[in-house]
Amino acid sequence: MTIGQLADRGTQLSRRYVTPVRLPAAGLGAVLAVLGSFLAWSGFAGFPGKMSLSGFPGGARIFTLVLAIGFLLAAVRVNGRRKAGLLCAAGVVIISAVNIYAIADEGGGLVNVEIGAWITLIGGLLALAAFASFPDETDKAHVGRLPAVIEHVILAAAVLIGLYSIVAALAIEEPSRFVSFLFFVGFGVAALSALGASELLPRLYHKRQPFTLALMLIAGLAFPVTQDGNATWLRVAASIGTLAIAAIGLNIVVGLAGLLDLGYIAFFGVGAYVGGIFSGASRSPFDIHLPFVLVIVLGAVIAATIGVVIGAPTLRLRGDYLAIVTLGFGEIFRITANNLDGEAGPNITGGPNGISGIPPLQLGSFDFSDRHTVFGIELPGFANYYFLEVLLVVLAMVAFSRLNASRIGRAWVAIREDETAAAAMGINTINLKLMAFAIGAFLAGSAGTVSSHYAQQVSPDSFTFIESVLLLAAVVLGGMGTIPGALIGAAALAIIPEKLRFIGETRLLFFGLALILMMRFRPEGIVPNKRRAREFHEADNETGGDAMSAAPGGPVSSS
Amino acid sequence: MTLFLQQLANGTEAGALYGLIALGYTMVYGIIQLINFAHGEIFMVGAFGGLTMYKLLPDSMTTNVFVALPLVLLFAMVISVAVALVVERFAYRPLRHSPRLAPLITAIGVSIALQEIVRLRYPDAKAPLPFPSILARGTIEIGSVSVARISVFIVVVAILLMVLLQAFVAKSKTGRAMRATAQDPDTARLMGINIDRIIVTTFIIGAMLAAVAGVMQGMRIGQIDQRMGFIAGIKAFTAAVLGGIGNIQGAVLGGFVLGIVEAMATNYLGGGAWKDVWAFIVLIVVLVFRPNGLLGERVASRS
Repeated sequence: MTIGQLADRGTQLSRRYVTPVRLPAAGLGAVLAVLGSFLAWSGFAGFPGKMSLSGFPGGARIFTLVLAIGFLLAAVRVNGRRKAGLLCAAGVVIISAVNIYAIADEGGGLVNVEIGAWITLIGGLLALAAFASFPDETDKAHVGRLPAVIEHVILAAAVLIGLYSIVAALAIEEPSRFVSFLFFVGFGVAALSALGASELLPRLYHKRQPFTLALMLIAGLAFPVTQDGNATWLRVAASIGTLAIAAIGLNIVVGLAGLLDLGYIAFFGVGAYVGGIFSGASRSPFDIHLPFVLVIVLGAVIAATIGVVIGAPTLRLRGDYLAIVTLGFGEIFRITANNLDGEAGPNITGGPNGISGIPPLQLGSFDFSDRHTVFGIELPGFANYYFLEVLLVVLAMVAFSRLNASRIGRAWVAIREDETAAAAMGINTINLKLMAFAIGAFLAGSAGTVSSHYAQQVSPDSFTFIESVLLLAAVVLGGMGTIPGALIGAAALAIIPEKLRFIGETRLLFFGLALILMMRFRPEGIVPNKRRAREFHEADNETGGDAMSAAPGGPVSSS
Repeated sequence: MTLFLQQLANGTEAGALYGLIALGYTMVYGIIQLINFAHGEIFMVGAFGGLTMYKLLPDSMTTNVFVALPLVLLFAMVISVAVALVVERFAYRPLRHSPRLAPLITAIGVSIALQEIVRLRYPDAKAPLPFPSILARGTIEIGSVSVARISVFIVVVAILLMVLLQAFVAKSKTGRAMRATAQDPDTARLMGINIDRIIVTTFIIGAMLAAVAGVMQGMRIGQIDQRMGFIAGIKAFTAAVLGGIGNIQGAVLGGFVLGIVEAMATNYLGGGAWKDVWAFIVLIVVLVFRPNGLLGERVASRS
């Protein structure tokens, strides 16, 4: 609890010394940060965003400017202002620090850092100290009832801002600016949540679900149009699509039914191999070319069948045992795919080299690798895959939410919470768990067949344990048991590594550390399921707490 | 028949190592119901610690087994214990109240991070590093079977450590406290047992055994790399489940059974390419037909 103690100590100090001047201090901090955002940061031209020029907030300076205005506004009395102010100020401090580091690193020393960056940093620190002295809010920030029009506008704005930030994020090429952007979004969203958005948006989402989903669908379909014929990010978007379908499937297994599957990528792999073997690939050991509609159904059904075959004996086990057994099956799948090369076993999968030369998808006479022009905007071939995947994601989402709201979904939640009690209430736990497993495998299998076509090859390396963990991380990071969570998690896990190529070798190390930090500070994910979030934070409110209780067994009020 | 006995010897050797690692899993699981996914990495770190010590020793000392081996083992233990304590304190302890998923994912994160730290920071560790055999090479003939001296050493050391651990847990005061904590942590605390200290002790013992196993694995195979802990860890966990998790004799038995089954199956069915599959098949078969493991009395239903 060292970090917590540090924060407490800081708060104490700040309350003792800063309280009398906290408003002027916050104001001065904001003025300094705004001023600094308009001054030059870099002593040499060529640092991204024209940061060597004064007079306008280019580059990362726009982020500190917006956050500074944010905490200036928070200083005016609103509920949740201490937290929101602290978050905005911390964002300013971190973004200016990151850029100072980057400028010094690229320019060859701190001499290259101009006055603007320092002024912004000092402004941020001052505001941080000022907001720490504000009293804790007793009542939570809450936005009351709103007129229907305003509700629609808020939802539309949220979706638009979401689409815009993704497009903007993708357009940023410089690592320092992208990192600044990540911090900006992170702290900005956290500050908005502190002001009540975290409560308002989910409420509006549930109230106006069809409207929001339609908006999200439109935004999703609009994405390829924003890319101006450039295929780079559409390829990533296509992989996000398959990841998202698989993540929704895993979300059913882990998020709803509570079955921890550490070998889930194997089902995706089964689909991918079915796609490779039955689509007339040039390096496939068989000469079979079935139409795609048949292949995707075949891939999904085979994956689901394997899910049932694996699940039937193992789903009697609970918790950790299931995790280890599924991990074992994932490894068996990978080793088998590696070995079925004609030497250690019959030639089915092409062994370590896998199957390459998988032809592009074809539906009737429509070839998915062709470029198309719609309304004068050129769409590269990947856009076709992307549109297909959007369709599949929508289907998966509908399946997920219908299941979640049904008797089956409630039974899953009951099993997750307490299997013995669920069985005592007459739920056939084995069958229901099998069903969750099979549905998850079905979705992963269908995603796998699509992925084999746009990747044009499959090989066992793509289905290692790390990939299963990555997918699980997407679900957990986004928020277990929620659809937006799965989508956000899949997108984040596909985009961030692409953008942060400069960290190169250390990528996996950061991933490992990110898993640890995430579990420590926000285990419920970005878009939490209400009930889950409460489970994870039950212990925070216990004063004494017993050191050992393994799983919270206390009653959880329904959300 | 000779082949069979040879495989039996190989299996016993591998099984002894699985058993040593499995003890760490089973004890930690018995006390805090956590699959310490990073335990395989503690084993790996131990091997690297041992190698570091060996390289630091002057030539005059490396030739003397009775000086080199204890020093290498000791330093391996120090490194493994230090890493295990840091992991326990900063990754696991803050999550003790959380639902089960959180510590498990943390453990996976720790496992990935430790592997990567070793790969990136240990000199030249991006490729497998050669590991000295320390003991003089040579074989001992037992009937028609020739067994490498190092294999005999491994099995003897492993059994010795297991007996010591068993005695410690059964006889010492700390051992009794550990058993009490495993049985009922709340009551154990009411009886004046410092649970945090027991947990730390458990991690230390597990790390020490894993470090010894890591060094011996290096001596046996002749090379180490940062991934050696992953598959060894999974198999050791399998051994722990096989014997009945939380049960010390079970972990040892599970280790030997797993090692021998693996050696036999590799030899008689399918060949080396399928070696790693057998462990999982054994695991699944045991869990299906005897979910509590070979010696387990506790039900596998703590969820």
